[in-house]
Amino acid sequence: MTRRNDPSWPGKPLSALSAAVRTAVITGLAISPGAAMAQEAIDLSKWSPEYVRSIAGTGKFDTAAECAKTVPLDYAGRVSVWYTGPADAEPEITKKFDKEFWEAFKATYPNIAVEAQSIVYNDLLDKLRTSLLGNAGPMVVRLQILGGVEFAAKGYLQPLKPEDVGYTPAEFWPGAMKSVTYDGASYGIPTNNETMGFIYNAKIFADAGLDPEKAPPTWDDVVTYSKQIHDNLGIAGYGLVAKQNAGNTPFRFMPQMWAYGGSALDENSDAPTLKTVGLNSPGAKAALQASYDMYVRDQSVPVSALTNTQAENQAPFIAGQLAMMIAHPAEYAKMVDLAGKATGKDKEVADEVVANMRYGLIPAGPDRRAVVFGGSNIHIVQNEYVEGGLDEMGAKALICFWTSPEWSTKLAWVGSNPGNLRGFQTEWMKERLDTIKFLDVTTSMLPSGIPFPAIAEAPEIMNIIIPDMLQNALTGKMTVDEAAEDAAAKVEALLGGM
Amino acid sequence: MAVSSGPTSGPLRRDDGLLRRIVAHRADYAYVLPALVVMMVVIAYPIWFTIDMSFYKTPASLQLRDRTFVGWKNYQTILTAPAFWSVTLNTLIWTVASTFFAFLLGLFAALSLHREFAGRAVLRAILLIPYVISAVAASYLWKWLYHSDFGVIGALSVQWGFTDKPINFLDNIHTALPSLIVVNIWREFSFAMIMLMAGLQTVPEQLLRAAQVDGANAWQRFWHVTAPHLKGVSMVTVLLLMVANFNSFIVPYLMTGGGPAGASDIWITHIYQIAFGRQNWGLASAYSVILFIVMMCLGYFYVQALTRGDKGRPE
Repeated sequence: MTRRNDPSWPGKPLSALSAAVRTAVITGLAISPGAAMAQEAIDLSKWSPEYVRSIAGTGKFDTAAECAKTVPLDYAGRVSVWYTGPADAEPEITKKFDKEFWEAFKATYPNIAVEAQSIVYNDLLDKLRTSLLGNAGPMVVRLQILGGVEFAAKGYLQPLKPEDVGYTPAEFWPGAMKSVTYDGASYGIPTNNETMGFIYNAKIFADAGLDPEKAPPTWDDVVTYSKQIHDNLGIAGYGLVAKQNAGNTPFRFMPQMWAYGGSALDENSDAPTLKTVGLNSPGAKAALQASYDMYVRDQSVPVSALTNTQAENQAPFIAGQLAMMIAHPAEYAKMVDLAGKATGKDKEVADEVVANMRYGLIPAGPDRRAVVFGGSNIHIVQNEYVEGGLDEMGAKALICFWTSPEWSTKLAWVGSNPGNLRGFQTEWMKERLDTIKFLDVTTSMLPSGIPFPAIAEAPEIMNIIIPDMLQNALTGKMTVDEAAEDAAAKVEALLGGM
Repeated sequence: MAVSSGPTSGPLRRDDGLLRRIVAHRADYAYVLPALVVMMVVIAYPIWFTIDMSFYKTPASLQLRDRTFVGWKNYQTILTAPAFWSVTLNTLIWTVASTFFAFLLGLFAALSLHREFAGRAVLRAILLIPYVISAVAASYLWKWLYHSDFGVIGALSVQWGFTDKPINFLDNIHTALPSLIVVNIWREFSFAMIMLMAGLQTVPEQLLRAAQVDGANAWQRFWHVTAPHLKGVSMVTVLLLMVANFNSFIVPYLMTGGGPAGASDIWITHIYQIAFGRQNWGLASAYSVILFIVMMCLGYFYVQALTRGDKGRPE
């Protein structure tokens, strides 16, 4: 296996597309309408924690002025929108910015009547499917990064590209733009993007004889570290997650698979066709073998991994019974919250865990360093499926406002990052970096992000076939080879229209 | 009470023509017509829609209106898929084992509580808890009791020296389904207990005493006197339990989601996954139609059991 595509491996060449895209981004930003107001164009080739800090707070943006170029501020109309707003358990600052956003939009566009519905994450897709069947959808909908493809494929969404609301594609992550592109056309605009980080407990590392200030650099090291921690301390090393039909599973397994050179289709290539199946490739099998080694051979991960989602990893981690896991930038805040609720001896342990919590880059593999490119996109529903009809200008005004540098930053405050790259230059990004621990680490993973394949069948491949493959191998129902071949055959059949 | 609104020539019997009976009871039918219309809309139409959909291919990339007619292909796909037979076997094991043991435990509890003893009311209330507790709450409770790393049962088994490490209940393909069945039995035996306690009230005390005088022992009194009187209620209870178990969703879905590796996947969870996980509405509809036919068969026997003896009775 070759070691390429990752700065941590010596002699790594930059892939042709990455280089081209980075150049395009730099160029694109320089000519984008909003960029005129930015202090300096963003150079993705320099992306690192230091670079992210250096550009934060260097730009000033006037949201109203930018959006006025697309939709006049005195425009009178209406817009209906569905999205997943802040839940009760979310931090106050998230709720505050959500409230301020709607107030600011109202102040900027006083003649546009807004009907906004916040729908919980797990219900939004089903509710949208049902409403669209009855031509009762909203004008605008914000969906998780993989959610829009199905609706674009079915013809429910109106083509929508950044230029339609006054921005350029270069102002958004290339991976994010891939996620809104179906069959060559763009059907949405990224609102926020995030990549996960590798979290570990430095004290457990030290107790197990590992370097407490160094995250495992490669996935092979994760296997080794996990075994060493389990053998020396009797606790679980890596928080493997392999539940069926759960989004958490592919978000944690695919980075491992891509790192070893495997893929579901060819989504990790520079020019994906999304027609070839990669689940039975040597890289995919190597990643599956690594999981098998941790679960079956070394028994160094939670036995409950087969029924666990990431939420079930939080309790053992805060209790000091789990050393490593992959999680969102917001996981630190969650752990602080859990420690705050603990009492007595549990609180002592939890406080110690929080003090020893470290973020590192997602480990690299023989092929590359990779992480799932996550986030959300905003879409416009075709007129015939909108209850009461579509007010396109009203919809565009809202989308311009939402995806502006200012609001794409504020609305992604705790758990994500601005979809509009110019958001990284705002004063609010600087404030986030100053107040949110480890944000610079998770943010620096963004260039390694790979979006899930933008095809309508992707949810079935990612949420069902890949977790099934893991379970078939980890339970011993099939060998690693058989499980990989079985999964590949299922994807072939699915793409073949079975 | 039936309200006849037209002339009838003598009492109507069940084998009279349907039309004649409707005419004779036209006022009754008029009263229930609104309810019938609502039922047609909310029950009959969805059933028809599901049957219709089961003959179409509905790929994730197409709207439902763009579905393509494939005849019996969805049924053929289901019946030739290895998963169908493993899911069917799981469903049968789940249904039969849950029903049998819930009934048996319920019968034992009913017989125990039938006698007067101090604290009977309290014990009866306690035994009813599994039935009244929310299935969702019960599923999460048992999930944590069973948890393969930090479960209470596993911890106690290690602490008391029964095992070296926590027992793997839910993350093992051999133990997942039996573990779920235990939870289901725990949830359902109270229902059987209530039904059978009601049935026990119908057993004539004189008969039991006469049998005792005749020298019958406790088993003989149960087998020859009590059991025949419980036959009707037992049949209804078993049928209701079977119907409920065939349709069980909450416990298996919340506790294992049908896993690991399909080890606890039963028809309902499988259909849910095909419909909402894979967006394959046509295939899921075909599965649902098969389940519907099975349920209708059970329903037929249920109605037969309920109406036994009604035939020949004047209306």
